[in-house]
Amino acid sequence: MNTWNYHPSPDIGTPIARRLRSFPREPGMFAYAVRSFAALLLRAWMRIYHRLHIDGRENLPAGGSYVLVCNHTSHLDTLCLLCSVPLRRIHHCFPAAAADYFFTNLPRSAVSATLINALPFDRAGGGAQSLALCSALLEERGNILILFPEGTRTTSGEIGRFRSGIGRLTAGRDIDIVPCHLEGGLRAWPKGRALPRPRRLRLRIGQARNFRHLDGSPESVRAVCADLQRCVGELGGHNE
Amino acid sequence: MVFVTYAAVVGALLALAGLILGSLRLAGRDVSAPLRTYRGWLVMIPIVLGTLLLGREATIIGVTLLAVFGFREFARATGLYEDWWMTGIVYLAIVALGAVSLVTDPRLGQPGWYGMFMALPAFVIASILLEPVLRNRSRGALQKVALAILGFIYFGWMFMHLGLLANTPNALGYLLFLVFAVELGDIAAFTFGRVFGKRKLRERISPNKTIAGSAGALGVSLVLPWLLWFSFPHFGPGLLVLTGLIVGIGGQLGDLVISYIKRDIGIKDMGTTIRGHGGILDRVDSMIFVAPIFFHTVRWFDGAG
Repeated sequence: MNTWNYHPSPDIGTPIARRLRSFPREPGMFAYAVRSFAALLLRAWMRIYHRLHIDGRENLPAGGSYVLVCNHTSHLDTLCLLCSVPLRRIHHCFPAAAADYFFTNLPRSAVSATLINALPFDRAGGGAQSLALCSALLEERGNILILFPEGTRTTSGEIGRFRSGIGRLTAGRDIDIVPCHLEGGLRAWPKGRALPRPRRLRLRIGQARNFRHLDGSPESVRAVCADLQRCVGELGGHNE
Repeated sequence: MVFVTYAAVVGALLALAGLILGSLRLAGRDVSAPLRTYRGWLVMIPIVLGTLLLGREATIIGVTLLAVFGFREFARATGLYEDWWMTGIVYLAIVALGAVSLVTDPRLGQPGWYGMFMALPAFVIASILLEPVLRNRSRGALQKVALAILGFIYFGWMFMHLGLLANTPNALGYLLFLVFAVELGDIAAFTFGRVFGKRKLRERISPNKTIAGSAGALGVSLVLPWLLWFSFPHFGPGLLVLTGLIVGIGGQLGDLVISYIKRDIGIKDMGTTIRGHGGILDRVDSMIFVAPIFFHTVRWFDGAG
């Protein structure tokens, strides 16, 4: 009789703090249950407290992997984008979150990893390592990546310059990128405030862009960034 | 009264261990590993004592949570966790065990539905066996079914007899004694093994366990019921000896069983939940044999079940 083969979880023996920081994470029943429940609560809270209105949901690609890019004025951006994707894809939706902020201690890592399903993004060194992670995610089917190309929360109300990462990730590749714009985040939860105020939020989802016709040269990377920055800006400018 | 005595004894032991560790450290010895284990105790002991003090419901809920997360470690270690249906059945079954321990027996009116607790394994094993039929899968079915049944019976059903003990009239005395005696037995085995140990007990299962350590633990376990007679003042001398044997032998058997499970899988610890101790199962392993045997002994001789 042959002996059995066991397949222990690859992260067995790693302390919980490190397990939360590592990526890709091992899917777990508890985390999925908690995250699904949190997503439902989040949707209700956004509807009621922030009267979140989402335009252009039909622009989200149905199958395949895609990237959501958005302006970044507050933590509400991530939460609103999480509310915009279909509930059943919530476990395959990964907001890139700065590892030096969201994964610094155990409680914060637990929230980031379990509730938000965040991808720990290492901003050091141009983010090359983390971009490779993102790239691998997008190669699989059915993953959604949430990126804030401005790289940090802005405080001016203007769209900040888009960093090159999004360009390096998508120039010359067949990846759909959906530009989004959240209006009201700056008023509802400006940087430095502990809790959000009950201000109205409006998320606009634009038409998907695709840059497979470009090559990976620095010029096309810049072109991608400029194009997406313009799209996000236009989405935001509709009402002004 | 019983509780205060135990809290005082445990507090004194902790203070003593702290003093020894502190003086060793002052003497320049490296005590980082035992210090981590000690800190683990400092966190665990208040939680366990507090839960027991809160009473029957808290104890049963605590035991259920330990079983749930203990089984989770087992599932993650064996690879069973990849089958969410199978693990889901076992989680539900463990919660059901907790629920029937909590409710009142519908016929007898006593706290805890003993009859259903004993009957549940039949239904749960049937459900586990039916899972491959319902999902139309045969590949690896035998292994999954076997692991799920073992996980449920051993880490769930046997361990959760502790919850049934919480329903007895003398619950606090029994539980405090068992937890204290079993953990002290573990420490005794380690200490005697370190000081006198030469010959290995079961070298192909656990290279760190020695015959001297095992004998020392059995000796301590046989003496403890006499010292802590006030925990169960109605016990006669025969029952005291029996209790000592159950804790002394059962505790070590539980330890050895988890050791060969880990060794067969090829891992060192079942998890990393408790810093300095490993996983939950690495800590409660000795209790798994002791809980059901002690419970049924008490029920048989004492009539209080």
